[in-house]
Amino acid sequence: MNRAHTNKWRGLRGVALLLAGLASGAAHADWYNNGKVLLTGGVFTVDGAGGGGAVPWATISGYETRDGINASAGFTYVNVPALQDSVFGVNIGFYDRLELSYASHKLSLNLSNLDTVALLLNTLGIGGGTDPWNSTLQMDVFGAKLRLFGDAVYTSDSWIPQVSIGGLYKKNHSEALVHTLGADKTKDWEAYIAATKIFFPISTLVNVAARYTAANEIGLTGFGSCDSRLLTQGDCDSKKEVRWEVSIAHLVAKNTAIGAEWQQHGNNLDGKSVKVAGLDLTSITDILGSIGLGGLSNTLQQKKEGDWYDIFMAYAPNKNISFVVAYLMLGNISVSQDNNGFYFSTHLTF
Amino acid sequence: MKVSKAKLAIAAGTALMIASLQPAFAAEQKTKPILGIPSSAVASFGGEYGVHNWVESLFYYIMLDNRINYIFKEFGNVERQIALNTQLEQMVLGAKVEYQGASMSAAHADLGITMTQFNAVVEAAYNACERNQIPYYSCNHLIAALAPFTRVIVTK
Repeated sequence: MNRAHTNKWRGLRGVALLLAGLASGAAHADWYNNGKVLLTGGVFTVDGAGGGGAVPWATISGYETRDGINASAGFTYVNVPALQDSVFGVNIGFYDRLELSYASHKLSLNLSNLDTVALLLNTLGIGGGTDPWNSTLQMDVFGAKLRLFGDAVYTSDSWIPQVSIGGLYKKNHSEALVHTLGADKTKDWEAYIAATKIFFPISTLVNVAARYTAANEIGLTGFGSCDSRLLTQGDCDSKKEVRWEVSIAHLVAKNTAIGAEWQQHGNNLDGKSVKVAGLDLTSITDILGSIGLGGLSNTLQQKKEGDWYDIFMAYAPNKNISFVVAYLMLGNISVSQDNNGFYFSTHLTF
Repeated sequence: MKVSKAKLAIAAGTALMIASLQPAFAAEQKTKPILGIPSSAVASFGGEYGVHNWVESLFYYIMLDNRINYIFKEFGNVERQIALNTQLEQMVLGAKVEYQGASMSAAHADLGITMTQFNAVVEAAYNACERNQIPYYSCNHLIAALAPFTRVIVTK
């Protein structure tokens, strides 16, 4: 090979480099690249974007550098008392500049109080937005992220982080259930700005993001809320607000990170009753009371949505796969309290 | 070709002479990572001897990597590259060692190094740390100290 020759005329060096490039390009198309250092592309968030578990980072997903394109797929399973969620997704990173992502949620909601009422109402012949024992939700998330400036990894002599902006469009397919839970919208967009920096001397990555959103439980239970206490549609509000998110990941080895996350949530549904068939449950307290279930009314009042916290461990044996296990503390979800549980995620990078 | 080779030899010889006569012009500045570099950094690599061993391991891993080995081979005189790198690494880690090689920008200006290739050297650096039993955290101090050179090394 030309590359082995060391003492050639200077002008030939370019030719040698070109040939070397073509030779290596034979294995993959020219645009393919996986040149990032291990774990520096982040993993797969439940929004499909690259980042931690819930919090998007400013890093562009995949292992591509500015020299090419890299794609990845992710799968995440979440199990807390109120819900079990399976998330499939894909994302593509272009030249360490632009990221496009898609994620699909399939979620079973286990709100036993709600199930009881649904069973009751079905028995009474009143249709509801929820089937007993089978409250499934589906949501699609489409995302794009653009790196504005900065290098999270190599600008070790500056405090300037890598900064990216992103947008997500979320479409919840479970309209009836979302309205049962008192939300206004089933489809909405979110925008975020994220700043990420690796502090090598302390082997730690810090990411701070601000998200402009009206989501309830990241949109899984809809967006905004409605105040209707009557059969007719009342005051609905899905005004967005800025919420903060933080990820801290400490690298204990080049392929292993431990860390924690915090994601601020809103309180759109705080104190709102679950509504069945457009009825606030308080309106049918009489019915419930008459058959001896008066106590249900209180238990169907939703709690202040909890901020999400998690602690995690991420392990990347190589550039093709990484695993994340996490313990989640999601707080109140709808009428269910203290939702702690486990999270497993894998990110396949091509 | 013969003429060209002779010309190259003369040019290289002249360059080396100038370099040896004027070491002051060949300076590279110590980088200034935020949060600093601990004074124990060189010691954690095993002193000058340890840094030298690390650089030898670094070149071992570089030469195994087809994405980058040809660049270092073409540059030639690997022994000298190892000696200069040993000086450079000690300097950026805070040792009072004079680095006698060319500045990072001068040394890499026309090599057309990509970010992928720079990262490949970083991967080799971590492999060298593991092989030499240098703790991951100590290794990160060196990466932090060398990282700012990305700006002048990666030109493509």
